Amino acid sequence: MLEIIIQLVINGLLLGGIYALLSIGLTMIFGVLEIINFAHGEFLMISMYVTFWLFHLMNIDPYLSLIIIIPLFFAFGVLVEQVIIKPLLNDPPLNQIFATIGLGLVFQNLALLFFKADFRTVKTSYSSANFFLGDLIVSVPRLIAFIVAIALIASLLLFLKNTFTGKAIRAVAQQRRAAMLMGINVHRTYSIAFGIGIACVGAAGAILIPLFFVFPTVGSLFVLIAFVVVILGGYNSLVGSLVAGLIIGVIEGFSGFYISPHLKEVVYFVMFIFILIFRPTGLLGRR
Amino acid sequence: MSSLLTGIFDFSREHKKAVSAAVLLLVILIPLLPRNPFYQDLIILVFFWATLASAWNLLGGLAGQISLGHAAFFGIGAYTSTILYLKFGLSPWFGMLAGAGLSILVALVVGLPCFRLTSHFFALATLAFAEVLRLLASYLRDLTNGGVGLLIPRHVGFKNFIFEGKLPYAYIILAMLLGVFFVADFLKKSQFGYCLVALREDQHAAESLAVNTTRCKVVTLVISVFFTSLAGTFYAQYYAFIDPDIVFTSQISIELALLCIIGGIGTVFGPVVGACFMIPLDVLLRGWLGGVFSGLNFVIYGLVLICAVRYFPIGIFGWLKKISNKYIQEPVCALPPDINFAAVPAYSKPSPRPKNTGETPLIKVISISKRFGGLQAVKDLSFSIYEGEILGLIGPNGAGKTTVFNLISGFISPDSGTIHFGGKDITSLGIPHRFCRQGIGRTFQIVKPFQSMTVLENVMVGVFSRVRDVSVAREEALRIIERIHLSPHVSTQPCQLTLANRKRLELGRALATGPRLLLLDEVMAGLNPKETEDIIAVIRSLSDEGVTIFLIEHVMKAVMALSDRITVINNGMKIVDGLPEEIARDKRVIDAYLGEQCDAATA
Repeated sequence: MLEIIIQLVINGLLLGGIYALLSIGLTMIFGVLEIINFAHGEFLMISMYVTFWLFHLMNIDPYLSLIIIIPLFFAFGVLVEQVIIKPLLNDPPLNQIFATIGLGLVFQNLALLFFKADFRTVKTSYSSANFFLGDLIVSVPRLIAFIVAIALIASLLLFLKNTFTGKAIRAVAQQRRAAMLMGINVHRTYSIAFGIGIACVGAAGAILIPLFFVFPTVGSLFVLIAFVVVILGGYNSLVGSLVAGLIIGVIEGFSGFYISPHLKEVVYFVMFIFILIFRPTGLLGRR
Repeated sequence: MSSLLTGIFDFSREHKKAVSAAVLLLVILIPLLPRNPFYQDLIILVFFWATLASAWNLLGGLAGQISLGHAAFFGIGAYTSTILYLKFGLSPWFGMLAGAGLSILVALVVGLPCFRLTSHFFALATLAFAEVLRLLASYLRDLTNGGVGLLIPRHVGFKNFIFEGKLPYAYIILAMLLGVFFVADFLKKSQFGYCLVALREDQHAAESLAVNTTRCKVVTLVISVFFTSLAGTFYAQYYAFIDPDIVFTSQISIELALLCIIGGIGTVFGPVVGACFMIPLDVLLRGWLGGVFSGLNFVIYGLVLICAVRYFPIGIFGWLKKISNKYIQEPVCALPPDINFAAVPAYSKPSPRPKNTGETPLIKVISISKRFGGLQAVKDLSFSIYEGEILGLIGPNGAGKTTVFNLISGFISPDSGTIHFGGKDITSLGIPHRFCRQGIGRTFQIVKPFQSMTVLENVMVGVFSRVRDVSVAREEALRIIERIHLSPHVSTQPCQLTLANRKRLELGRALATGPRLLLLDEVMAGLNPKETEDIIAVIRSLSDEGVTIFLIEHVMKAVMALSDRITVINNGMKIVDGLPEEIARDKRVIDAYLGEQCDAATA
């Protein structure tokens, strides 16, 4: 019994690392630009396809492809911010919401046009490798994914804490106007923050593909998780998202085992509503 | 020329009803026109989407609560009636009502907590909700037959909601469309409609004018969900087949928003115009692209959506209106010609009282405190204001003045202490609109006009706290606008006003709620001497009518001239309280403002 619980916690934590990386991208964008990227799941989907094709056409290992994916998606994010988000920053929420929804619709259906609704995945030599810790099983690809995700998150946090650009991002997130008065180029900071957010979700896609299938609507499965993580983590706290991501991973492990894997989204949503009612500022949120 | 225009205008006024009736008749005749089932189907589709979009527009457009989860209620409607029919043989007509009831119930349970969220997160929560229902519908196979879907057998008969030919369907969906259209039209023109727009534009300002924003949202949600659910049942009966991916897909919700945005969001006609334009286009697109490029039409919608919100946010109807306004100038004043000013009841004012004689205070604040994290914004503050008095509240920047206002207008609740107003303990009323109903009106330091409304409509929102009838409210608002010298600007939108006029509007709107106590937060800041003079005169005349006034002000001359008494606070605590002359000489006050070293300089 205890072993099952520990096993579920391990599985959940390993999965939660990826969720955290995915959600931190969303938190970053919301924290700085105060908009929700409704196309977040579609960026994940694109990254999964890119990693898939890199593997298939050029035989590049998914984890190795991070070197390509991260700068590529950063640039992608900056481009999207410049072209679509920037003109709408002072608009009513309606316009901002539907701009990113429109973007998601375009991406999702372009993927459908090009790749049809087929399920694809990457089979690496270590895809089904496991090792044992006593009676506990640890999946190798999940462990690698977890380590990579945590390493990326840690470097992002260090970047925000110690570099000038990182400090500028935090300053803009806290007080847009004051940051502007201190000589920070707010628009440039927005672009960078959006780029980082997209780079995070890109990286999450790359480390997810050895574990999961990609198909045009895969984003909507994961984006719901990301939303719950962001809310649980307190809307604009990156550390909060990290912790919440791990928690959600563990909850998913338990609900999958004790309730049904098909109902995990329902469990998230019920949690979501309960957080709204009892702790509207999130788990680690402050007001 | 002008007489010709007035002629047209009079014509449209007098014959508006006749024209509307003729248009209505035409619309009713439309389904009879085509013999070809393709066109009949197209008409039904247009009506169907127009119904859904109008229902969405009530909540998303008028009340500004953007839902991406309307597919949930559409699906509940479709599944409830179908399951009841297939399993229990209940006529879908009753099933339709049962579905609507269930939808409303679900909407209330899920919607109430979600209304706390800001718009982005509200959209998110509703999106997640519809997605969860889709998964549930696939999962609960015993009930819904899972992903396989439910097929309704074609047993023709009225009781079964299954008809031969398309005409009956066309009239059923037309009836639904007319229903939601007239409800929307009625709401938009009523007091409720003004409150909804106010809520959409600025929730805090709306609350300060006694608009019960939660109630407004809930009522709108219920109506919107009701019609959405009916349309869901209609869909199930018309196509005789449903599955979770058809009726619960979030693409429905997005498409509804798209129709509203294209047609003109927030207007009554917009969703209908959007459906008339987009649905035939959609049918054409699907025809052209066929099975070869399935998905391309959604790519196009996505692009249209991105471009529309950026370049064409007013939509087709808004654009048509703009063009027609160029040709038919509306009269500057929206006054109906037949108003007899003498007949309008005078502004309800409390009988004037001699100043400072009231023994019982109108408001009595006893040692309230408020802490924000590490900052003690207000500490152990007590004061009273007597009926008819003008009390000035001054203090250096960051002294906690605005927090005091927020505390006594219900925007924040104190950590400790009590507030009595008119002999009643109002500390725990909790919500700003209740404070306003008690008779506490306020302005905001940073003015918060409802941007999409004219000056007149802004003030009308305030009047609605005590008057329900729209035309009476309009007259009352016009009187108030005259008092604050904004009459030349009745139909101006706030963004075109000068700062001084926006401050006046802020004052007028608070005044419109008929307050016994009026809280004025720096209404003179940034005004020139002439404008300041003007506002001082307005405040004096209010005071003469018996309105008690509590004002925060940095313009010292004005505070000194106006106030009967002045309270000085610093660091959230009261320093001193007294007559203006005493305050001006008080050493502690001078220290607080200028710092202690300045003593030597002034001595």
